[in-house]
Amino acid sequence: MHPVELHCWHFMSYPYLPDDFDEKYDTGWVTVPNKLWDREKTDGLYQEYIDQLVYGEELGFDGLVLNEHHQNIYGLMPSPNIIAAALTQRTSKAKIVVLGNLLPLHQNPLRVAEEYAMIDSITGGRLVAGFAVGGGPEAYNYQVSSPKARRQFWEGVDLIVRAWTEEGPFEHEGHHYPLRYANIWPKPRQTPHPPVWIPGALSVETTHEVAKRGFDYFLSSRTHGSATRMAREQFATVLTEHGDRYHPFRFGVLISVYVAETDEQARAESQEGIWYFLKNCLKGHLRKTGRTLTFGAGVPSQSVKSWESYLKHSTPGAEMLGDANTWEELDSKASIIVGSPATVLQKFWDLIEEAQIGRFLIQFHFGNMKPELARKSMKLFAEQVAPTLRKDSAELFARQYPQLEERAELGAGE
Amino acid sequence: MSERSIDIRGRSVWLYEDGDGPPLVYLHGFPDFLGAWAEPLPFHRDLAKGFKMIAPAHPGCSNSDEDDDMEAVEDVVFHYLEVFDTLQLDRFNLVGSDIGGWFAAEIAVRHPEMIEKLALVGATGLFIPGEPIADLFWESHPSDGVSLAGLRALMFGDAEQPIARDFFPDGRGEIEQELLRYKTFRLASRIGFNPPYLHHRRLRDRLHRFKGPALIMHGADDRLVPRSHAEAYASGFPAAQLEIIDGAGHSPHLEKPDQTAKLLHKFLSGEA
Repeated sequence: MHPVELHCWHFMSYPYLPDDFDEKYDTGWVTVPNKLWDREKTDGLYQEYIDQLVYGEELGFDGLVLNEHHQNIYGLMPSPNIIAAALTQRTSKAKIVVLGNLLPLHQNPLRVAEEYAMIDSITGGRLVAGFAVGGGPEAYNYQVSSPKARRQFWEGVDLIVRAWTEEGPFEHEGHHYPLRYANIWPKPRQTPHPPVWIPGALSVETTHEVAKRGFDYFLSSRTHGSATRMAREQFATVLTEHGDRYHPFRFGVLISVYVAETDEQARAESQEGIWYFLKNCLKGHLRKTGRTLTFGAGVPSQSVKSWESYLKHSTPGAEMLGDANTWEELDSKASIIVGSPATVLQKFWDLIEEAQIGRFLIQFHFGNMKPELARKSMKLFAEQVAPTLRKDSAELFARQYPQLEERAELGAGE
Repeated sequence: MSERSIDIRGRSVWLYEDGDGPPLVYLHGFPDFLGAWAEPLPFHRDLAKGFKMIAPAHPGCSNSDEDDDMEAVEDVVFHYLEVFDTLQLDRFNLVGSDIGGWFAAEIAVRHPEMIEKLALVGATGLFIPGEPIADLFWESHPSDGVSLAGLRALMFGDAEQPIARDFFPDGRGEIEQELLRYKTFRLASRIGFNPPYLHHRRLRDRLHRFKGPALIMHGADDRLVPRSHAEAYASGFPAAQLEIIDGAGHSPHLEKPDQTAKLLHKFLSGEA
């Protein structure tokens, strides 16, 4: 049986911004002044965030998800591999899912191949290896030329997989990363290599590259509901074009959740953290107010053709997730699920049925949310939502995807 | 005037040609015809008077094919050597604005024998410590999702004059115009995002190699390229003169088109 995978995602956001942050600053990214970092209040902050992830394993989550961000208040993990290393010493069962290392920001992708191999070796094969290109803020943070970044990225991914799987030393006659001696020590524990997940935000080009290599895809765009179904359908079509077949464990979504005893209580408890997250952390990313750096002519990573399609299908100044001003608006965006166990269960189930998703990457902590609230929400989810979701999804997937039963292990290269 | 495309080793290059007389190659910039605007402007029609003006669209711009292997300004220089060979241009006047001025300077220091006279308008291309070229990439992200006031302020002395609004309207312009702009940003980002921005560290030391007549034009209110860059160009070329255009920002060819064209004509026809 293959129940839905439930992973615990953390951004590790900066929780000590002044109350007038939104008024005073036009972005939480790249140029947000680091005088706002409080050296004393942040004592123990990383420890708390790591402890929350460790608690995720105790509660039975399948994986603990880390991510890489730089020079911003949204996510304080410039090096997710350092947090992953800490988790190797505190956990024993959960997958350590690094989504992902931003390859164009690294001088040499072999370093990533090596660090991932170390994590995989130390954990006896618990690594899920994610790779991402990075978006607008990353281009500015590390001076990455966007039109070149994707080609550079895929060369880096292929070099890493080759370094994990082929006998070394070999020469890599690459365009961006030419190397005379590729010969990594250690090798990863998993064979042929750790599962590879690649995030995307509906770019057709990315789904083709993922499908071509037999990797798994995860949707980072935070659009849910029918948009998720459409993304899954698009990915499934692309898989078919590459002679492959869709099943729910090829696809994951990032989703944000707060669970409490009742709907009212969930809303009351999560308000402060969620608004902090929307108004501060998403400023410069998914908010029209201020300066959104995520995409645009200044970071022209998309082909001219994709940009044309974007222009034709979008409205300038359209509202994004962080622009919601009321709970009703937020609810309608279906990106953050807040409610009692029954409410949350129903919304997850709707998404599973509609979009046939096998992997949920769940954000439980928002902005400046009190740690005890995030933990309570995780616990309620684990105890009152997860069991039913697992049982019912396993039955659903067994009926709809009988081919799954023939596979012992799901992952890269299948 | 006429437009056509020529083939350079399998890639198509879009050319605009106008006028009759000695050859003059015009390398466009971003706030310019072919860079962000589909039609030639009064300045370009004026410039072509008395010359056979050839204005190619840079790789990826307008109808020219993009070159995915293009990584540095060196590649742009080689591209233009191929274009000049194909057009059998072995000696000509070279005028460039904005990034086109940078390309023109890079060509001139490598092949001074090809250039009769060189004129740069608001040229990027130099690195002057402590005097950086401003961030046009950043300013192309509209504030509050719609306003390009910041970009207009970098491109024009008076950010709200009609031509500034025509070039970079708030909200969404015509798709064609938005795409022209995007294409130029693709090229600019390829060769000029890293190091930030739009320069080649070694160019300044090489300027002495072009010993022919040079005219450096700079808008007095240019907020993209500091005046020190124009001064460095003017002192780096052994036979250069500097003209500061009052009442113009980064785009004298759009803001003071008559004056800019007149100064160019005077310089190119030897009355300087």
